[in-house]
Amino acid sequence: MEAIRFENVYFSYGEGENEPFALSGVSLSVEEGEFVAVLGHNGSGKSTLARLTNGLLSPASGKISVFGMDAAEQKNLFEIRKNVGVVFQNPDNQTVASIVEDDIAFGPENVGIPREEIGKRIDFALNAVGMSEFRTATPARLSGGQKQRIAIAGVLALRPKIMILDEATAMLDPRGRKEVIDVVLRLNREEKITVVLITHFPEEALLADRALVLNRGEIVMQGAPADILCREEELETFNLALPRSVELCRALRRGGLDIGDALTPEALAEELLAVLPAGKTAEEEEGPKGARAPGDGGRGSVLCRGLTHTYNPASPFATQALRGVDADIAAGEFFGVIGHTGSGKSTFVQHLNALIKVPSAEKKYKPKKPKKGETLPPAPVLKVDGFDLTDKRTDFRKLRSKVGMVFQYPEYQLFAESVAADVAFGLKNFSDGLTPEETERAVREALETVGLDYAEVKDRSPFELSGGQKRRAAIAGVIVTKPEILVLDEPAAGLDPLGKREIMQLLHKIHKEWCKTVIIVSHDMNEISENCTRAAVFSEGKIVAEEAPAELFRNGGMLESLGLDVPFTAKVTELLGRGGVHIRSDFTAADFAAKVLEYAGCAGGERDA
Amino acid sequence: MRDVTFGQYYPVDSPVHRCDPRTKILFLIVYIVAVFVAKNFYGLAACAAVFLAVAALSRVPFASLLRSVRGIIFLLIFTAVLNLFFYSGETVLWQWKFITVTREGVFYTIFLAVRLFLLVTGSALLTLTTTPVSLTDGIESLLYPLKILHFPVHELALIMSIALRFIPILSDEAGRIINAQKARGADFETGGPVKRIKALIPVLIPLLVSAFRRADELGDAMDARCYSGSKVRTKYKKLTFALRDLFAFLLCAALLAGVILFRAFLANVI
Repeated sequence: MEAIRFENVYFSYGEGENEPFALSGVSLSVEEGEFVAVLGHNGSGKSTLARLTNGLLSPASGKISVFGMDAAEQKNLFEIRKNVGVVFQNPDNQTVASIVEDDIAFGPENVGIPREEIGKRIDFALNAVGMSEFRTATPARLSGGQKQRIAIAGVLALRPKIMILDEATAMLDPRGRKEVIDVVLRLNREEKITVVLITHFPEEALLADRALVLNRGEIVMQGAPADILCREEELETFNLALPRSVELCRALRRGGLDIGDALTPEALAEELLAVLPAGKTAEEEEGPKGARAPGDGGRGSVLCRGLTHTYNPASPFATQALRGVDADIAAGEFFGVIGHTGSGKSTFVQHLNALIKVPSAEKKYKPKKPKKGETLPPAPVLKVDGFDLTDKRTDFRKLRSKVGMVFQYPEYQLFAESVAADVAFGLKNFSDGLTPEETERAVREALETVGLDYAEVKDRSPFELSGGQKRRAAIAGVIVTKPEILVLDEPAAGLDPLGKREIMQLLHKIHKEWCKTVIIVSHDMNEISENCTRAAVFSEGKIVAEEAPAELFRNGGMLESLGLDVPFTAKVTELLGRGGVHIRSDFTAADFAAKVLEYAGCAGGERDA
Repeated sequence: MRDVTFGQYYPVDSPVHRCDPRTKILFLIVYIVAVFVAKNFYGLAACAAVFLAVAALSRVPFASLLRSVRGIIFLLIFTAVLNLFFYSGETVLWQWKFITVTREGVFYTIFLAVRLFLLVTGSALLTLTTTPVSLTDGIESLLYPLKILHFPVHELALIMSIALRFIPILSDEAGRIINAQKARGADFETGGPVKRIKALIPVLIPLLVSAFRRADELGDAMDARCYSGSKVRTKYKKLTFALRDLFAFLLCAALLAGVILFRAFLANVI
């Protein structure tokens, strides 16, 4: 049976004649039990599609029906919403209650289901998303992936036949994303729920039976995901990124290897094993790459020894976040900080510009006197950019102007009436007595560095900018003081693959032209392997490894045991190793491709073919 | 702020924690009435005895209870001093110009101080042993009869529930924004009141913007889950009284009866 049907649907958010259509002439049909992925860059109309389907919006013209029910008829609305569950992007903004089971009960309560039956539905829904043991937990304490699974359970409790996920994985880390996708796959296969997955991750789209690509409110591509995701030129026209694996295949083919497009590490390894002879070892290359240049705590560097931190000390909620962190970050590095949520990495980076102070740097601090027979633990060492952060006499204001900090989703800190005023905020706080001309020059320079047109944006309200522009403006507001060290917490979070790539390019530019040292916190191991000189792995309040990606990802088992991912290239390397082909690269896509080609060349391969 | 249940809730397991929230709310009301009905030290002693017994049963450290008095310590001293010096009694203990301290005045001062202390710590005991969520459930359930008068009980409960849900989210967010602006050199700690209030603008505006955005998204999510007001709504959670609640009510009744008897048959301070 046909689950969803759109017939020539037009929709516009504005009233006026010239208002652009968010959807123009969309016709589609989704069969019951199907799994459809919807791709498209920001503003292509993906979310509008979701909202139209369950009657949150109604079309300007055209017809939408769900299981034969006309969505335009008010009397059908309730029935349609019962049948079409929607999970939205932000896991925090979908729960109404502070206890998981109360929240899941919300939907069934709304449609008047008797009490005993609600209890059964909660059991079913929690079981379906694998969260049964969290029935009486508080959503605020769950991870992003868990929260989103609770949101799915809240929708499932209404027993919908269709589930729409509106970029439901965009704000999650890779682990959370996997949790959610696994649940969705299971619901589709076992519960036979029709799934419409709106996403900008090509890897997720691959799991679907069929993919649609939206561009400017129109369906421009349709077909098997594996087929669509290989069409480079078209994807480019519609502002979509080619999946990493396909890009790698293309690079290898350009180098002369005869392989087809592969979309998963497994498929790529298989393709490669078919053309590469086993048994040879690529030349060992022990370069100075990532060689450890110890941080001395001088300009642009970080020296940290024995750093500990406890939140809410001496209370029943006391949690020790750092248990003796030793770190060296040398001037000039592009340093990565990885570790899952709660591993202490955020606490660590907030120490770097004294947002969290070492106890001995607090104004009221008095040194402890040891009791008889007791030895105090050695005092921590924390030197950043030449400042001693364990000393209360340090000029912390100056430190903060030299160590810039960009938080996750920095666009949410914009506040001023104009972009220029917002960017100037930090500058004015840090340096007294700047002339308006000096301020203007610095602001202009910062905005131009992040790739915004100064003349165009300076007088506009920061709230009018697009999502990507807002993030750039917020970064400009931090680099405007020309910090020596720039720390960024998940700078690419929530962006689509192209946006991610652009932000990383921007960071390299800033690294080259503005800030000596860049430190990024990231969950995306591909991001780390492609960009970082070295990375520190946090686990349970300690750094368990601090190495160049080339060393770090060679030891994939350790990362996996910590619940962390490895980059795409490392997965392929491992699979190749199992097939007897040993490639030694630094795990950047470029180096990996070069090493594979070299290997093929060594073996008398098809390089010149 | 991270990972902490906001409010005062003290997480241990005790019979008092496990009591039905409605029982605790009603108990507190009766207790407050009893404290006010008491006109002599016997009555207050009875209240104090009940308070101490419940406090001991709750396993909340006494220091946490005392902390709740901190907020009113000034009020306590102020009223005590006024009463001590200006209460007119018969047995004069000490006199200087227009200030007289009488025996009755001393008793009265002590009486008032104890009364205030019992009120504040008693109320604190409720919030220390009851999570905000079950407190809301209790209030909703107690207000339920008002539905006959078209009082929007369900809407009120939903508002309280959503508010509770979003307090930790928004307080986390406020913490993040404060940190972000601090990192950009904002200074919230020095300067006069005007400067400090001005310094908060870069925090309040983003927080407000975010609250509206969240409200908008939450509205959509609620609509999508078939929210349509209270017409056909059922309620999943049902509070149930247990045996311990019966004991609590008996204790409650005994306290009130005792205090009334003391007031009727024994000499009163006021």
